Amino acid sequence: MVTSAHRIGLDAVSRAAYEANRLAAVVLPGEATNAFRDALERESKPMAQYVLGQILENADLAVAENRPMCGDTGLPRFYVKVGNEAAIEGGFVGFERECRRAVADITQDLQMRANRVHPLTRQNPGNNVGVFAPSIDYSFEPDADWVELTAVHKGGLFGSDYRMLFPADGIDGIKRFLLDTLSSSARRGLSCPPVVVGVGLGGTKDQAVRFSKEAACLRVIGDSHPDPDVAKLEDELMELANRTGFGVMGVGGDTTALDVNVEIAYTHTGGIPVAVSQFCLAYRRATARIHADGAIEYREDPRWFTPYYRREGIE
Amino acid sequence: MTAPLSDGAIASLHAGDIVYLSGPIFTARDGVYRHMLVEGNEPPLDLAALTNVTIQSSPAGAEVSPGEYRISSLQATAGFRYARYMPALLERFGVKMVIGKAGMSEEVYRDVFMPNGAVCLSTMGYGLGAIYGKSVKRVIDVHWPEELGISEALWLIEMDRFGPLLVEGDIHGDSYFSRANEEINDGLAELYEGLSSPVFRRLGEEERPEIELF
Ligand code: SF4
Repeated sequence: MVTSAHRIGLDAVSRAAYEANRLAAVVLPGEATNAFRDALERESKPMAQYVLGQILENADLAVAENRPMCGDTGLPRFYVKVGNEAAIEGGFVGFERECRRAVADITQDLQMRANRVHPLTRQNPGNNVGVFAPSIDYSFEPDADWVELTAVHKGGLFGSDYRMLFPADGIDGIKRFLLDTLSSSARRGLSCPPVVVGVGLGGTKDQAVRFSKEAACLRVIGDSHPDPDVAKLEDELMELANRTGFGVMGVGGDTTALDVNVEIAYTHTGGIPVAVSQFCLAYRRATARIHADGAIEYREDPRWFTPYYRREGIE
Repeated sequence: MTAPLSDGAIASLHAGDIVYLSGPIFTARDGVYRHMLVEGNEPPLDLAALTNVTIQSSPAGAEVSPGEYRISSLQATAGFRYARYMPALLERFGVKMVIGKAGMSEEVYRDVFMPNGAVCLSTMGYGLGAIYGKSVKRVIDVHWPEELGISEALWLIEMDRFGPLLVEGDIHGDSYFSRANEEINDGLAELYEGLSSPVFRRLGEEERPEIELF
């Protein structure tokens, strides 16, 4: 039985949600900075070299002056991992209230762009909070009494797509779909490459789309899927993405993707639902773990895809 | 360069040049184009008298105290979708430089920009928002915030060494992205070799990856 002394207070939730959003908007995670540096070192085309250099300078300036790294500050959202033994004062209704308020506050304080509008009337509440906005997604973790929230500010009107493929299309079909998606979005740099590509493979349509986005936004650049067949596909797709030659900003260059992450879900025996999402070069996310005693730890790795989250079979 | 720009300054620009710009510019995208160009609302000030440079952007900015605005970060949005508004914008408001993201088609340059002596520039990176945001010297005014919302409003801003900006479509008929695309397309066909079309096609499907989709 969890006692009230171990309930996470809403003031801690409020602070964590606010600061995770500030970090996401302003601070490019170290894994991305390193990936951009490597890309710059490898790059053979002068214009692409110049642009990559500017991106690294921009990342430094954003931190030095506490400015959002991109003028399109994306759509703030939350991925929440809840320890199975965690309890929150005010429950998850209270938790979600704090998350929504934190988005409105950071939008004003950082002068983030008020991006969220009514899809028909275009009415803008001015604070990035509205119907189903910010979205809050949950997963759970056994043997833990903390709650973690990851703020993601994904930008981009371009570069996401879904298609139902069939076993007869096979891996070649997946490759072709990736090429199609990049050809329509990395041209002229519409999706703002170098991107982290997320591929959602299998499940149902909505799962494929959801896992493609989680794969793009919540893995770590350079990691691999634990399933060796999936990891092999990741490597092949990564090579393919970079052979397209679109490069940063679509000006022509050696790095179009910093990484390709594939997530799978068991699917209908007759189909291969496949979805692609792209996390643009404004690779914005930050994670806060809120401990039961109210202490908050911030970190860059979301640790979203835990073995429990990807579990199979009946336990 | 300094806005407003002279014809000579515009003519000196060539696709592929990288420039920095100072002086007043105004923001306009979906909201302003519709309000001003389609619905015919006159801007509350003589835009053409002030500047001939516009950016297709809604800034990351807010009203920090009543009537006082601050921009923290700035980036243009993909401009191709505003091609239909360009004739009215260039002809009626005397705009000579449109700063967007990723440029527009060569047809728009040939049919609209070049006859009006106007150039199309692109922000770079993309996503150099902090660098661009720092070059905002001051927000002169924000028009139509109630009508269009703060993000789609017309922001009048004064820039100080705003850049780097890529000259995309110049008045001599050259486009930087068109050239880059030619080079990229040379290698693209090879990647598709041996990858057959999906067994179940989609209506309206375009099978040639080397084309522009706008
Ligand atoms: S897609 Fe481009 S413009 Fe949009 S947030 Fe990302 S880097 Fe910025």
